[in-house]
Amino acid sequence: MNRSLVILLGALALAAAVFAGSYFTAQRATVMCCTKPADDLSWLRDEFHLSDAEMTRIHELHEGYLPQCAGMCAQIAAKKSELESVLGNGTNITAEAQTKLNELAALRAKCQAQMLQHFVTVSQAMPPEQGRRYLAEMQQLTLGTNELMEQSMSGDTGHEHHH
Amino acid sequence: MRLANDHAWLRVGRINEITASRAEASTGLSRLGKNTKLRVADKVSVALEPMKKEDVNPADERLGTLLRESRTFPALPPRFQQKVWRRIEDAEAPVKSESLLDALSALILRPRFALAGAAALVVAGSLLGALEGRQVARHDAQVNYLASVAPHALR
Repeated sequence: MNRSLVILLGALALAAAVFAGSYFTAQRATVMCCTKPADDLSWLRDEFHLSDAEMTRIHELHEGYLPQCAGMCAQIAAKKSELESVLGNGTNITAEAQTKLNELAALRAKCQAQMLQHFVTVSQAMPPEQGRRYLAEMQQLTLGTNELMEQSMSGDTGHEHHH
Repeated sequence: MRLANDHAWLRVGRINEITASRAEASTGLSRLGKNTKLRVADKVSVALEPMKKEDVNPADERLGTLLRESRTFPALPPRFQQKVWRRIEDAEAPVKSESLLDALSALILRPRFALAGAAALVVAGSLLGALEGRQVARHDAQVNYLASVAPHALR
């Protein structure tokens, strides 16, 4: 093989190795440095550039919301197990199962409304512009997944259903 | 060194004379200041020129034979002629501009360029890695927050 070609290929391989090594080392170091797993609210502070006072207020709201959220989650989990026991090994959806499904959906909707209300409250504790951005992002993150799932199930991409 | 041959004196003496004459001719020295030896050498060189048959000296003939015999021809390396012709052709061929690959490889092998390139790669890799790391850390923090406020069942 041509000597120059061998030199070039070797240099390319070496360059790729040097670049990849630097890249992954820096990436790992940055992730380790910037991640604060103990603090759930660190993202809010960094992303929305919140002051200490705003963070204190949001921290209080967050602590107040967590028990409500946990309570709703417990209710949803209980209702799900009730539904599973009613469904059992049957092949038909009974009236009781339908009732449990409705109750589960109602609980989920209540939990979702409670969550959205929390987002609104938190957004009001932020500067107006950051609050609007926070609310939009949280709605997109929490409700957007359902929309995507519904769209994928209907085979539609943003059009209304025609039942 | 003593030679067994009767004409040993002739051989050694003649060889010296011929050598001197050749050296003179090759160095281009003026023949005005030449000494006796050189004068004799001139005579020898004249004697070596093509002669008429009647001028041939039997002693010179013997000398020529002896000279030819005394020469040793070392064995030529393999493909000697082919290599010689190739070198001649290469020398006569117009100088080719070196290819891009050769130029690049020569550039890469320069220590200054290699060091600068390695430093640039390390800096670029570190910067991109740090940016990517920030994105990953941001995403992880966002996931943490989301997990704490939005139960997975609702998402």
